Amino acid sequence: MKKLLILCVVLLLSGCVSVAKVETGPRAIGERLTVTLDGAWNHVDAPGVGPGQLWTMEGSPVDQLRLYSGIKEGQALHAEQGGQQKSFTFRSNMQPDEIASLFEGMLTRDGSRYKLEKLEPMSFNGQPGFRFDYSLVRKVDNVHLSGVGFAAVSRNELFAVVYMAPRLVFYPRYIARVEHIGKSMSIKP
Amino acid sequence: MNRRRFLAGGACCALAGHGFAFAQEPWQAPPRLAKPDLATEEGGLWAMMDREERNIRRSPFLIRDRRLHDYVQDIACRLAGDHCPDVRVHIVNTPLFNANMAPNGMMQVWSGLLLRAENEAQLAAVLGHEIGHYLEKHSLERLRDVKSASALAQVMGLFGIAGAFGQLAVIAGMLSYSRDQERKADLIGSMLMHRAGYDPAEAAKIWNNLLLELKARPDGSPSANSPMFATHPSPEERSETLSKLAAGMPGGRTGAETWEEKIRPFRNEWLKEEIKRGQHEESIALLTRMGAGSTPNSEYRYARGEVYRLRAKAGDLDLAVADFQAAAAIGGEPPETHRALGLIYRSRRQISEAKASLRRYLELMPSAPDQAMIKSYIEELGS
Ligand SMILES: [Zn+2]
Repeated sequence: MKKLLILCVVLLLSGCVSVAKVETGPRAIGERLTVTLDGAWNHVDAPGVGPGQLWTMEGSPVDQLRLYSGIKEGQALHAEQGGQQKSFTFRSNMQPDEIASLFEGMLTRDGSRYKLEKLEPMSFNGQPGFRFDYSLVRKVDNVHLSGVGFAAVSRNELFAVVYMAPRLVFYPRYIARVEHIGKSMSIKP
Repeated sequence: MNRRRFLAGGACCALAGHGFAFAQEPWQAPPRLAKPDLATEEGGLWAMMDREERNIRRSPFLIRDRRLHDYVQDIACRLAGDHCPDVRVHIVNTPLFNANMAPNGMMQVWSGLLLRAENEAQLAAVLGHEIGHYLEKHSLERLRDVKSASALAQVMGLFGIAGAFGQLAVIAGMLSYSRDQERKADLIGSMLMHRAGYDPAEAAKIWNNLLLELKARPDGSPSANSPMFATHPSPEERSETLSKLAAGMPGGRTGAETWEEKIRPFRNEWLKEEIKRGQHEESIALLTRMGAGSTPNSEYRYARGEVYRLRAKAGDLDLAVADFQAAAAIGGEPPETHRALGLIYRSRRQISEAKASLRRYLELMPSAPDQAMIKSYIEELGS
């Protein structure tokens, strides 16, 4: 827990963190993705959040919902970092197993341990896509997390909603809410 | 055999009269190190390491397999001799070549080192070297440097803020030893190997192997990419020194058969972690070396094929298919071999081969996490 606090302090010190409430109901994410919320969320905006929006219920060190809308060929799923960090970029011909691995790669850049629990087809308002369930042991504080992702590729662009939260208490508390968002995903043709 | 007399006897004889630099300063193991007074600087550092050790014991990254732990602990013990009761091995699941020993006796051994060692003697070389630092209390001098903000900043710059918060002991381990300390630890390591009956010639080999692997990287800089090389200067010089030392202590065993038997149950899991690092060039160098052994091994073949498949540069998919087919021909291949083959055939629209391979995967692994997805791929390929 202390380590979480340190992370929070570091984020705050780095400045420009803003949190805005996202209200219940349909919400447009970028130009082509719409999701419907059955409860309010907090939208966190901070430097280095990357190409997706970051939402949270309990604060971003605890649970994170990432919403990606219209990730293009060659675009990374994360903020670009210089140096030796490998970047994880989307290619429009990627298959579901490859996209799930892409998220895995991104989530384990810090040495966290990832396990794919399930990968299955799922469609979003007629758009074929998939769902993946995973678990993660976070390197920074050894917390066991559970996670779920919903994703589809439409007109060579990636749309995805990916959630993670501590396996105990928080994930069970919010998974129904997240599944509701996943099922509601609608991508403009 | 009376271990104590054996140990005492080995020390001077082994090095006398061979004419290299270390011969002038024959080394004697110190008596067991007592726990320092908590009020002293050293005591404070022990307390810090004790805390770190408690964290490691609780860590989900700790590999808790009793048999593997006891095996590695036993190797460390035979090297440490009289100091055996003070050495506590912890095997940590991290796919990098690393081991370190703290002043309180906590020894961390990373799974990436166990994957890379070709035999018991090569692991003993690294553990013996670290025990050398421990016996000479090099860590005390090094840990004093932790207080230096610039040293900490250097480590955070190299390995990221997450890494820095993650493991204090690792930070300490990343700070450079002096050249003299390194030479001393190499000398002691080789002597401990010799006394424990291992062939010290394996010491130069494991460092050379690591160097070759790191040199395979596109950016080709070993020190920037390995905790071990960031702290251990000039691998070329060290390898030469170690070869000279070994020449003065001929004989000894490598323990290759026992090693193979003890490591085999874990290898496939560690290979998966290695693949996930996404350092394709290093992994190919590693897997080509490990797979070149006299006994064909389907796990190394599958793993290298998977790295080629994931790298997917021009020609890589052909290399991947060749490795997967070779793995299947050897037999005992991981089920994922057929998954990977099926996915390549699918992308190439080789319909019947794709279906056959994907079905084989599901046969071998009916409860695979991606079985629903694979079934949908098979259906989509048509009947
Ligand atoms: Zn050293």
